[in-house]
Amino acid sequence: MNELLKGKNVVVTGCLRGIGRTTMEIFAKHKANIFACAQHKDVEFEEFISKLSVDNNILIKPIYFDLSDYDAIKDGMKQIISSKVQIHGLVNIAGMVYNGLFHMTSIEKMKEVFDIDFFSQMYITQYVSKIMMKHNSGSIVNISSITGIDGNAGQLAYSAAKAALIGSTKTLSIELGASGIRVNAIAPGVILTEMTKALPEDKFNILVEKSKIPRAGSPEEVAKVLLYLISDMSVYVTGQTIRIDGGIG
Amino acid sequence: MTTIEQYDQVFIETFGIENSQLAGLAYQSIPTWDSVGHMGLVAALEDVFDIMLDTDDIIDLSSYQKGKEILSQNYDIVF
Repeated sequence: MNELLKGKNVVVTGCLRGIGRTTMEIFAKHKANIFACAQHKDVEFEEFISKLSVDNNILIKPIYFDLSDYDAIKDGMKQIISSKVQIHGLVNIAGMVYNGLFHMTSIEKMKEVFDIDFFSQMYITQYVSKIMMKHNSGSIVNISSITGIDGNAGQLAYSAAKAALIGSTKTLSIELGASGIRVNAIAPGVILTEMTKALPEDKFNILVEKSKIPRAGSPEEVAKVLLYLISDMSVYVTGQTIRIDGGIG
Repeated sequence: MTTIEQYDQVFIETFGIENSQLAGLAYQSIPTWDSVGHMGLVAALEDVFDIMLDTDDIIDLSSYQKGKEILSQNYDIVF
């Protein structure tokens, strides 16, 4: 199927690399106009989105902010709002991984991880969902993790923040459902990105071996599920968390 | 219609009340200004004045009078 997002305007965070960048590419091929949120300005990135935009005859507007800077997030959201277009989709991808055993993780570090992996997503969603409410339509997807469901030794702060995203996804789907807005989450397992390189090799191998499909996933495989959730293919799906993990268990 | 008339009309239409009820009107002081009604009020104010209220201001919007202060101080709406 082609052009599943034609005529839609979608906000994607974390576009600089990894799953975010791949998602942007796939959404562009399906003709979405994209507000491509990234941590910082980057020449290579701007050349990339410029080419992507021309090749697919769509609009891609870069929006720069760091998730740890709420004033910058607010400025970024105001740039989106000032465009005065309907926003059909929001994909909260940007985040951070932090590895540390429970007794080796300070409360300050936990707050930092929650700031970046949970509160900033909620802040962005507060702005974007209000635009969606005006049009009584929209699809929001939060990127959680299988560690938010299963837990993982050495990832207390990260897994707790990702679990918070799942809880908020369920509640937001209830609160926003009457406004025509769907809210779902995905929980990727081991996906080949720069972030998973932070996993120790032995842990990486154990996770891969536990999968029914014994290999790591690709960013494309995640992005295709995001495409489904943002597109009208999933208009009756909300409040769900979809695992993309090759059947780890 | 003047700015204050537009502002009053938002409250009157959103909550289905009379002009005489506006002075002293506060959040949850009438059945229609509940949490759902509050978001309706926010949407109506944003539409009429072409603004996007910040979350802090949505929370602070506790009365008819307070709303005027927020709009004038934070959104350059002149009453």
